[in-house]
Parts: sequence; structure tokens; C-alpha cells
Amino acid sequence: MTYDRHFATNWQLLLDAICTTMMLAPEREPPIVLSSLADLPYEVGQASGRAPLSFIQGPPGRNIALAIGLRAALPATPLVLIMSADSVTLGTNHLIHAARRNIGMTLLLLRSDVTAGAAPGSQDRMDWTQPYYQPDLESAPAPLAWLTALDAALVGRASLRDPDGLAELIHTAIETKGFGVLGVTTDARLEIGILSRSEWPEYFDAYRAWTAGLAAPAARAAGAAPARPARRVPRCALRIAGLGGHGIKLAGTVLSEALGRHEGLWTTQRGEYGSATRGGPSLVDVIAGSDPITYPGADQPDVLVLLSQAAAQRYAGSERPGAVLVADPGEVDPLPPGAAPVPITALAREHVGAPIAAGMVALGCVAALTEIVSLTALRLSLAGHVPQRLVARNQAALEAGYAAAQAAREGAQHG
Amino acid sequence: MTHIAFMHGNEAAAEGAVAAGCRFYAGYPITPSSEIAEILSGRLPEVGGVFIQMEDEIASMAAIIGASLGGLKSATATSGPGFSLMQENLGFAVMSEIPCVVVNVQRVGPSTGLPTKAAQGDVMQARWGTHGDHPIIALTPSSAQETYHLAVRAFNLAERFRTPVILLMDAIVAQLKEKVEVPDPASLQIVPRAAPSVPPADYKPFPFARGEVGPLAVFGQGYRYHVTGLLHDEHGYPTEDPAVVSAWWEHMATKLDAHLDEILAWEEVQLADADLALVAYGGTARAAAHAVTLARSEGIKLGLLRPITLWPFPEEAVRRLAGQVRGFIVPELNLGQIRYEVERLSAGRVPVEGLHRADGLQITPDQIVSAARAAHARDQA
Repeated sequence: MTYDRHFATNWQLLLDAICTTMMLAPEREPPIVLSSLADLPYEVGQASGRAPLSFIQGPPGRNIALAIGLRAALPATPLVLIMSADSVTLGTNHLIHAARRNIGMTLLLLRSDVTAGAAPGSQDRMDWTQPYYQPDLESAPAPLAWLTALDAALVGRASLRDPDGLAELIHTAIETKGFGVLGVTTDARLEIGILSRSEWPEYFDAYRAWTAGLAAPAARAAGAAPARPARRVPRCALRIAGLGGHGIKLAGTVLSEALGRHEGLWTTQRGEYGSATRGGPSLVDVIAGSDPITYPGADQPDVLVLLSQAAAQRYAGSERPGAVLVADPGEVDPLPPGAAPVPITALAREHVGAPIAAGMVALGCVAALTEIVSLTALRLSLAGHVPQRLVARNQAALEAGYAAAQAAREGAQHG
Repeated sequence: MTHIAFMHGNEAAAEGAVAAGCRFYAGYPITPSSEIAEILSGRLPEVGGVFIQMEDEIASMAAIIGASLGGLKSATATSGPGFSLMQENLGFAVMSEIPCVVVNVQRVGPSTGLPTKAAQGDVMQARWGTHGDHPIIALTPSSAQETYHLAVRAFNLAERFRTPVILLMDAIVAQLKEKVEVPDPASLQIVPRAAPSVPPADYKPFPFARGEVGPLAVFGQGYRYHVTGLLHDEHGYPTEDPAVVSAWWEHMATKLDAHLDEILAWEEVQLADADLALVAYGGTARAAAHAVTLARSEGIKLGLLRPITLWPFPEEAVRRLAGQVRGFIVPELNLGQIRYEVERLSAGRVPVEGLHRADGLQITPDQIVSAARAAHARDQA
């Protein structure tokens, strides 16, 4: 730049100092400067673009978050943010987070004596501040003080009255790993120089060190090709309804993957599990068929298993004519007409010791009473969804449901 | 090779993003989109990408813009309340033509609304949420399978047209777990970031080439330029010159409209002989497709037009149908946002009936068939 510093504006001095840092470290990439219309006058924003650096004029205050993305993408490029009081106020949340994470960027916070007229909400505190529209009301938050308290990697103050010192401090802040902040002032009463330092790793350096050894598990890319069934299966809607703690979500997962992976059908699984882990209503709908599934709801199920009184009151009678209906006589009273009685919760307690296996018992019933899914497919699917030590017990629950449902059907046929 | 997976829509969105080359995600988790963040927090480090949980959605949107300027394909995901917070920086991305992808899994609003319940109430927010006239692309999937493919497509369209693309999901599809045939990554068409072919001195970062976009140089590779949320000239310098501003508008207004054949996608289900048409999208289209089967078994010639690209809206498809069918029914989980579009495009030629709910419950095939029966009876009378 060719202007005489004695006649330069504060803005020109500031941009000149940033350009000077490029001469202090010619090997370093030129900085990207981020600012906003709230921080720099319109003309300065325009002129700055003609300086030999990239310039981003983002929404006020948001440049800190924008710089986080830039830093993730560009580990070595200096990022210099020019912020006045308005931007600091709008972006305080971002400022705190970037400082605490120690994300590599250099903030130049302009004191109101530099911006001359900007709202003083967050200026570097010296005296009580006096917004012209609210005189004597506000005490300014002091950003340099609280950024020090936040352990920012570097906190300092520089003066526009010493342009070379300003450039050197900016250079030092750029060289500091992590989050650096410089208050910029013209006030001769304030202490100039580095006010505090704090040592910790730059966030993305730490992130890259942490993720360096990670790779996609090989198993993820593999996956068995689906069996293609010779049979043609029309849309079949299955609903299992009970309470939280019945293992209904797991049952839905085991069932839908048995149908999709081992029976070669298209499947959907949706549920309403409530927010309580135990006791609230819980429901899973699984739809399967040879064609891709359109509507994923089992509003009129072809197979309905009722594990609780509340479920029976809500859903008994919703099934299609001729549907397979199973209800737990230990929980549901009276039994809906046509329901196969299977003591599902009692069998779960017997084989696993808790109602959590009720869903598995229910799946055994489905295998016994329908053609849609085989016990073998359910066993295969189950093994992929419960911890190894629990497979045997859950299989026992599955098989107990299968046997009990068969017995219930034979009882109905002979009775 | 293609493999079979069981995924809910959120997982499909995350996996599709990774397959499309997404290498930066910044977000703040929110129901019903949280699984996208959770999955990408594990997946991105595996592929050399960066995941960061931000302090809020304003920062999330800003960070993905920054990362995109740095050359990384970038995305965030949220739901309505977060999408509201993103509008400020979304406008900045539109204005400065920075490619990025925003996933919005819709829940019932306004405000905190019904956090766990599905809705489609952000359709107009996706179009007009940020202030000022602007071009935008929004895609809306109906299945986990389609979510995977649309996630890939969202990144491709973002790069191709240098624009934010919104993947507008709903909690029905996001939480629905189904079989997905995951394609071999080598079989996917991926649009890379275009690099400038001219030396830095001749580079215009924001060319006003009617109907075309120029390459966005990645910072740090020798190209220095000015990016601003202010109206700017082709070099990115702010301007108030009405002639330049008009040229900018002409560029922005045409950059998508000149390429609708590349952008628009919709599905037609049994429309060829239909005399009554449903217009439904996202999770609601699943019930609508089933309703078509049910209605036809009763002799009602019902068909379905399913917009996949929601913005720009497939206008010609609706205009054409308005000359064929005797009425439209628009089932949607809001109080009539796409119905307005269908009314506008059918321009009074045929009746347009809405089937709306925003109470957290989903529209069932039976409800749609009932509406179709009533419309059919009216036509027969």
C-alpha cells in the first residue's frame, strides 16, 4: 500500500497491519480475513477485497462459526477475524465455544475508540459505557477479561498508534496454535502486548490425531445377498402390541430382518415405543411382501399379537377378517374372539427370567401360526441382534412360543 | 457390489451423504433427526472427514458454509426449530452461491411443537424461509432407499448449481426402517467440485452467465477473492449499481430455471387412465400409493403424482394433469402448503381438495380412499 500512515484511517491501518504479517512470514499462506458490514464500513469492505488476500464479509457475529468450517477444511491458512462490538454481541455464543475448543483463528476485537460510534455493548472495558440512547445504564462486558478467564490460547492488546507493533502481535497470534484474540485500541492508557497465554492443543489437530487410526470396518462393506423366494407373497401386515419392557422393538427388528434377509421379501418396520423404558404402550408394525411396501402401517393387520390389556382394548377387532390373532390370557381378559391363547409373558419369565423376552415368544407364535416366516429365519436373524451370551435363552423363548402356539391351535381344532 | 441393509431414513441419509463425498458435518442434534448426527460422528472419521457438534444451528449452518469454501462437501441436519435458526446463514449461502446440503427432518410445529411426531409443515419454509427472492432446491424422499439416492443427488445438485440443497424429510421416513439395496459406491455418479480453468488474475468467482454457474475456487489454492452477503458484482465486490444488481438477478433467477430437466423429478403411479389424482409426497405418499391400489379395487380410477423434487415444483406435470383428471386430492401433513401450489397450477379448471392433518397422527390409506370415494360420487352425480 502506498498511503502515508499519518493520514491513514484506522481501517487502513488495520488492513495494512494484516498485509504486513504476510511480509513477516512470506512462506505462510496469505490470510483469509473475515468481517461484516457491522464491523467495517462499506467502502472498507470493498477496498479490502482489492488487498492481496481473500475476504469474507459474512453475517455479523457468524464469522466465528464460518471460520470453524474453514479451519476444518484448511489446516494451514491463517484466519483473521475483524469484529467490533456489534459482532461480538451477536456472536458471543460462537466466541465462547470457539475459544473453549481452541479452534485456530485470530480475532481482532475493535474497541469503540477505533470504530468510533459503534454500539459499545462489548467494548474492551475501561470506563462505564454510555450508549447515546441509554446513558449511564450499562456496564460493558469486558471481552478480553472473559476470554482470559476462558483460557483462550492467546489474549493480547494492540494499538493502532504503533502499526508495526500491531502487525507483529497479529503475526504472533497467527503463529499461536489455537484461538487467539487481540483487543485493538487507540487509547494510550491501556496496557499493550500479550496479556495471557494458555497451552492446549488446537481442536482440529487433536481431532485429526484422534481419528488418524480409524478406518471403516471391513465387515460393513460386505453383506449377504438376499435369498430370492420362489413363492409370491402378497402384502402381509403384522402388528405386535404390548408395553415397554416387552422387547417389542427388538422383536420387530428380528422379524423384519428375518423376512427381508432370509425370506427374501421387501419389509418395513415402524414402531411407537413411547418415551418410558417400561410400562408405557409399545407397538411395532412390520409389513412384508414380494413387492416393495407402500404404506408401512398395520392399521388392519393380517397378524396381530396382543400382549397387554391396554393393547387389546385398543387394537382387538382392528384385524382383517381371517387374520391370525394371538393374545396372552394371563394379561388380556376377556380374550378377543378367535384369539389363540398363549401365555406369552409367563413363558418369557420362564425362559429368560423377565418379560423382556415376550417379543421373542410372540415371534415364535407368528412362525407357528403363519406361513410368512419360518422358525429357521427367525433364529438366524435373532443371532445377529442379541449379544452372544443371550442367544440361547432368547432362542428358547422363541421356541417356547412356537410350541405353545402350536398346542393352542391343536387345542382349538380338537376342542 | 450392491448389498442389502436394513436402515431407517436417517441412516440412509447419513450413508448417502458419505457415499456422495460429504466430508464435513456440523450440527446440533434434534429429534427426529438426531441419528444422522450420531451416525456421521462415527462414519466421517472413518473416511477422513470431520464431524463437529456445534453450539447451535446458526453456527452449524455457518460452519458448513466455511468448510465448503475450503473445498469440503458439507452438510448439516436438523428439524424445524433448528431449520428456523439456519435461515440467516442459508441466505448467505444462496447469495454467495456456496454449495451445501441441509437435511430437515420435519416434525409438528411451529416452535417446539410435537417433537417426536411427523409433519410436513416446513414445505413453504424450505422455499421461502430465508428472506428475499431466491432460487432453492428441495428434495423429498418417500423411502429409506430413496433417501439414500436423494442424499447423493442433493450433493450433486449443490455442486452442479452452486446452491444450498434442502433434503426435506419427514419423521415417517426418517424413523421407518426398511430394506435398502445399497449400491456399489463405484456405480454412483458423483459431481466433484469444479475447479477454475483460468489463471487467478482472470478468475471471476461469481460470473453472470445467464443460466450457467461458474466454478467456485477453493480457498488456499492460489485464487483470492471476495465473498459477501451483500449484492455483488462478478468479482464479489459489493455494489449498489442497479445495472449490476439487475444482471445479478437475471443470473440468479435463471440458474435453476434454465435446467429444470436436470432438477425436476416426480413419480407417476397409475395416472395414465386416472380421472382422479392424488398429489402426495414424502412419507404421506406411501399411504397415497396404497390408497391407489385400494381405490382401484373398488373401480375408482385413482392415480398418484408424487413430487420428488419439491422445489422447484414440478409445475408442468400438475398443469398437464389438470387437463386430464376431474379433480385433485392433496393429502399432506400440514394445513395445505402444496395444495396451494396445485390450486395455483390447476387454475380453477378442476376442483382441488385438501386432506390435511397436523395433529401428530399420520394420514391413512382409508382416509384417502374415503375422500376419493366422495369425489368419485360427486363426479358420478
